[in-house]
Amino acid sequence: MDQLLIFSASTYIRYPVKTVRRIPLPLFVDKVAAGFPSPADDFVEKTLDLNELLVQKPAATFFARAQGESMLDAGIHHNDILVVDRSIEPVPGKIVVCALNGELTVKRLDRDNGQWKLKAENPEYADIVIYEELEMVVWGVVTNVIHPL
Amino acid sequence: MTPLLALVDCNNFYVSCERVFRPDLIGKPVAVLSNNDGCIVARSQEVKDLGVKMGVPLFQIQQLVNQHQIQLFSSNYTLYADMSARVMSTLEEFAPSLEVYSIDEAFLDLTGVCHRSPITYAHSIRKAVFRATGIPVCVGMGPTKTLAKLANFAAKKWKMTGGVLDLSDQVRREKLMRIVPVGEVWGIGSRTTAKLNKIGINTVLDLAIQPSKRIQTQFNIVVARTVLELNGIPCLELEEIAPDKQQIVCSRSFSRRLTEYKELSTALAEYCSRAAEKLRRQRSVAGCITVFIRTNPFNQNEPQYQRSASAKLDTTTQDTRVIIATANRLLTEIYKMGYRYHKCGVQLSDIKPESSPGQLELFDFIDNGLHENRPLMTVVDQINRRFPKSISVAATGIDKSWKSKADRVSQRYTTDWRELVKVR
Repeated sequence: MDQLLIFSASTYIRYPVKTVRRIPLPLFVDKVAAGFPSPADDFVEKTLDLNELLVQKPAATFFARAQGESMLDAGIHHNDILVVDRSIEPVPGKIVVCALNGELTVKRLDRDNGQWKLKAENPEYADIVIYEELEMVVWGVVTNVIHPL
Repeated sequence: MTPLLALVDCNNFYVSCERVFRPDLIGKPVAVLSNNDGCIVARSQEVKDLGVKMGVPLFQIQQLVNQHQIQLFSSNYTLYADMSARVMSTLEEFAPSLEVYSIDEAFLDLTGVCHRSPITYAHSIRKAVFRATGIPVCVGMGPTKTLAKLANFAAKKWKMTGGVLDLSDQVRREKLMRIVPVGEVWGIGSRTTAKLNKIGINTVLDLAIQPSKRIQTQFNIVVARTVLELNGIPCLELEEIAPDKQQIVCSRSFSRRLTEYKELSTALAEYCSRAAEKLRRQRSVAGCITVFIRTNPFNQNEPQYQRSASAKLDTTTQDTRVIIATANRLLTEIYKMGYRYHKCGVQLSDIKPESSPGQLELFDFIDNGLHENRPLMTVVDQINRRFPKSISVAATGIDKSWKSKADRVSQRYTTDWRELVKVR
């Protein structure tokens, strides 16, 4: 098959001749001194993907909608979206989503003298001490908050 | 090397999916209904314990539902397909090859993978899947697929197995086969069971000790192969038995790594065509399409990427073009440049017989041999491609009056920003 080879310093791209007319070319807006290639050329196709920043393990990552203001001081507002990774170890200090008596809640996991607690990040809310009769299962660890301004 | 296959099967899968987002329902009787809310298609252990059988019409058990406050859900295939993809993608990290056998089970080839104890390895699989997805699974293992299936059956049935059983050991195998009815064996249907019972073959062991030659003349090659498989002689490769009718999966690992969107899209279109063919061959239509792509998880030197996306169709279809178009739309959502892709695939689920009533079958006439409608279809497709909103909106609008009943459907927790799970 007839092909046009476009060479650059280290690599080449093959395009079938038929489609050559339709190759969209990137427009370079930066001024280039004649004879010197723009140092930005090599990076022209790179885009940023928020998933890369927010999601480490896609299979274990879920999104949840925060309700109420109990975690306000941790930067979690009513209606914010929480990025929750189930595969992360829930150690004291982490903000977790947990099932408390069947209801999903977001709080900071805390351990004080061997006693597990769920702490709100708002002085108006009391800590929840995890006694034996309370059914508590950690659902996942909150890694990021998405808050519209 | 002795082969070792594992069957990983999700426990009460649809119910478990619902419970992940409704922890208040753990320990309570929960059931999921078929399309149109007609029959029971998934039951929690509590519902099974009440004697509710798989597939019974809802109206027959209405009294039990009221009396025990059984929580009912309409099928939420968008959710189940997404959760299934998460389970499968977690499993892929544990074995070099895997066959997605149905929406809630997969065969893993563990030959030479678990160097120490297969039991310990299987427990780590269970733990990882539950941790990542919240879905409980059981793992059955053995040198053949049939034995892995049997092991899984036993792991599910007997709590003391801890959800894991290995039937590689012949003594243990015989002990189990002695007490399991032959009808529980994979591929032995109710008619074959009746025939087997008639000649005095009642337990799995009764069948396993038969000479396979004789079984082949008396029955057929499938039953004869089952006899060999029960004796630890592998006859079924991964992917050989036709997949469960509940879903059709078509996926492949590429012979070389693909990087370009175009290449992936071409491969995907081919898998879609094959899946659509299978769908039409079994005279069915699909209502949900899932697309997945991934890099090679066994090459840790390369940047890793894996994604899947699902779409629930407003109208069920068996039209290759609709399936390809939907799959392509999903692919654009998940494709990312700069990775060397190792595998992609398509999964059709929410599968129903093509004659199922109450569905608007806009694309149906294509396959009814009405050739004069083909040009019209082509035009419809062209318009759709150029002005996606115009046609799809109209179709959606009309669809609503025909939509199958789904009064108790849960939120699409994982695929719609407006339906996320709420946490206080």
